[in-house]
Amino acid sequence: MLGKGGKRKFDEHEDGLEGKVVSPTDGPSKVSYTLQRQTIFNISLMKLYNHRPLTEPSLQKTVLINNMLRRIQEELKQEGSLRPMFVAASQPADPLSDNFREAQPAFSHLASPPLLPADFVSTMPLESCLTPASLLEDDTFCTSPAVQHDGPTKPPPPALQPVKDSFSSALDEIEELCPAPTSAEAVAAESAADDSKAQPSESNIHKPEGLPEGRAAESKLMDPLPGNFEITASTGFLTDLTLDDILFADIDTSMYDFDPCTSATGAASKMAPVSADELLKTLAPYSSQPVTPNQPFKMDLTELDHIMEVLVGS
Amino acid sequence: FSGAGGGNDIQWCFSQVKGAVDDDVAEADIISTVEFNHSGELLATGDKGGRVVIFQQEQENKTQSHSRGEYNVYSTFQSHEPEFDYLKSLEIEEKINKIRWLPQKNAAQFLLSTNDKTIKLWKISERDKRPEGYNLKEEDGRYRDPTTVTTLRVPVFRPMDLMVEASPRRIFANAHTYHINSISINSDYETYLSADDLRINLWHLEITDRSFNIVDIKPANMEELTEVITAAEFHPNSCSTFVYSSSKGTIRLCDMRASALCDRHSKLFEEPEDPSNRSFFSEIISSISDVKFSHSGRYMMTRDYLSVKIWDLNMENRPVETYQVHEYLRSKLCSLYENDCIFDKFECCWNGSDRQVEFFSLCTSGSYNNFFRMFDRNTKRDITLEASRENNKPRTVLKPRKVCASGKRKKDEISVDSLDFNKKILHTAWHPKENIIAVATTNNLYIFQDKMN
Repeated sequence: MLGKGGKRKFDEHEDGLEGKVVSPTDGPSKVSYTLQRQTIFNISLMKLYNHRPLTEPSLQKTVLINNMLRRIQEELKQEGSLRPMFVAASQPADPLSDNFREAQPAFSHLASPPLLPADFVSTMPLESCLTPASLLEDDTFCTSPAVQHDGPTKPPPPALQPVKDSFSSALDEIEELCPAPTSAEAVAAESAADDSKAQPSESNIHKPEGLPEGRAAESKLMDPLPGNFEITASTGFLTDLTLDDILFADIDTSMYDFDPCTSATGAASKMAPVSADELLKTLAPYSSQPVTPNQPFKMDLTELDHIMEVLVGS
Repeated sequence: FSGAGGGNDIQWCFSQVKGAVDDDVAEADIISTVEFNHSGELLATGDKGGRVVIFQQEQENKTQSHSRGEYNVYSTFQSHEPEFDYLKSLEIEEKINKIRWLPQKNAAQFLLSTNDKTIKLWKISERDKRPEGYNLKEEDGRYRDPTTVTTLRVPVFRPMDLMVEASPRRIFANAHTYHINSISINSDYETYLSADDLRINLWHLEITDRSFNIVDIKPANMEELTEVITAAEFHPNSCSTFVYSSSKGTIRLCDMRASALCDRHSKLFEEPEDPSNRSFFSEIISSISDVKFSHSGRYMMTRDYLSVKIWDLNMENRPVETYQVHEYLRSKLCSLYENDCIFDKFECCWNGSDRQVEFFSLCTSGSYNNFFRMFDRNTKRDITLEASRENNKPRTVLKPRKVCASGKRKKDEISVDSLDFNKKILHTAWHPKENIIAVATTNNLYIFQDKMN
């Protein structure tokens, strides 16, 4: 069950590296970066859904969470666009969005406990992911005329730095990982055990074995949604979570607790080291330098429109 | 700060604490805003239950020269009630987001209080006399039998027990689609602005059925929304100038003389991001939660999640000073994101005294575990103090606190992991003239003053 290599020892240097984002281009640290990113992505999704239904959610909070999701999604998309394709074998290699329609009905059978990558035959297309349709509603209650506004615009974002082979090698590493850890630490320890496996260049398509966990996790999120649909709709703007690219394909998300009944918004009186931070801490040794991911934050609205169509029309 | 330095150092002592002693906090009692009036004689608090409580400072007792007057309850009234938005099927909270006092013009006091949607102008007046000796009514109000009236008399005013009445004089409603986060009274004392997440409106204090929209950052397509307004304030001296801050860490200064709709800023204050500190949470922690002009108007102070920054209005590309409030939280941002603490909106305030001498300015802002921080711009020293009932011996100097980030914890230090994140100090206020500060914990109001010798 354990990955190859010796057990990771507690590293004294850990303290100094806390909180720093690991570079996606580093050797073993790209796994921690993607894990970190995945954690944050999932937390963000949960926040948008687990909202107190009585009063209107704070627009500021919603915007900030949404920006976070967009940023991560954009990064994933950039990374994903460098892999020729990783649609499952049974599906033709075509634009992901086209598969979205077919993927939908298949979603229900994923409502099961997280599957082990070894057990899973990857036939699930990536597009069968959660799109929080509850957030797709225009603000129709505006009382003043919509002004075409070009005020708070930032300078154009810097050009993307292509993340070439790190992604594929990250996937390799993850495939080595133990499939069913029960805690974030366990996973981190196992991922750490496999430094030597990093392979800089990879040209084959990898089976996205992490996919099913992603799907299962997402479907668990989906279930209690209907009640919250109306509520989050009142945030009044669309989120562009076109999770069709979804590259959480590569990550085993089963370690995250997706119990939607647990309110993510209740502040603990003591800040217990939540799995998120612990995870980051244990992965911190891998960051050799702070990263400045220069990712553009633009959205692709055509994809978004398509998704909307799918959800609203069919 | 605490005693060891020169004559300018303030030694803070506990003075009073108001509010329930229970650990079990009733939601309605959560304090949501604190504000001194222009003379400092009155101190208003607003709470989540929509109530306003005003404290009045006792006249200084000449014999007790070692302490300033105590604050006692002067008036309590229900400012806002919960409402229901039928169109959206959502409650409108009655929580008081901000209180701003008007300068006193006559015997009565006026303040503006606002919840998410509606601003109200309240008049607080004293009544200590009442007319007695009506011809047609008895003293208790019953009408006299007209046939028993044989003489006429003129009613006279007789003293009565002091009664403080609050009455709503203006209600400024239906002008905000989004949640109001700020109100600010103009230096002309005739107009004021109210800001919500996407728009800022200008009002005249006398006119309630109309307001002018002066800033609108709502995009035509809401899908493109990535930034919201977080705070706004009028310049203290220039009645056509105001600033507003955003969730992306920018401050825009606008001049209302330039155009009716201030979509184009006159100045944009933004500090470039420090690449070594970049993380997933960079944007969220850069979101500005409060902006306050200095008394001269030359500087402004902003508060973001981890720091307080002082900006010179003449320099847009970076702040002139930055003070770390609780840098030790930087490594905990993911947990703080998960439990929502990262969205806490801390306020900040300038000291009140020494308006002329900007150089000796002090800044205050809150943190967790009922700690609050003070920064001395002159000496560049800072201090951490705690608002707790355990330190409640009047005239005992407060002991400075220290949080230890990692590694060996010294005696009396508190480790980051044992901080109580439910005990947050979001609201602080400084007396406009004296060294008295009001600090609000979740449901208690603490008053500290400097040790007078």
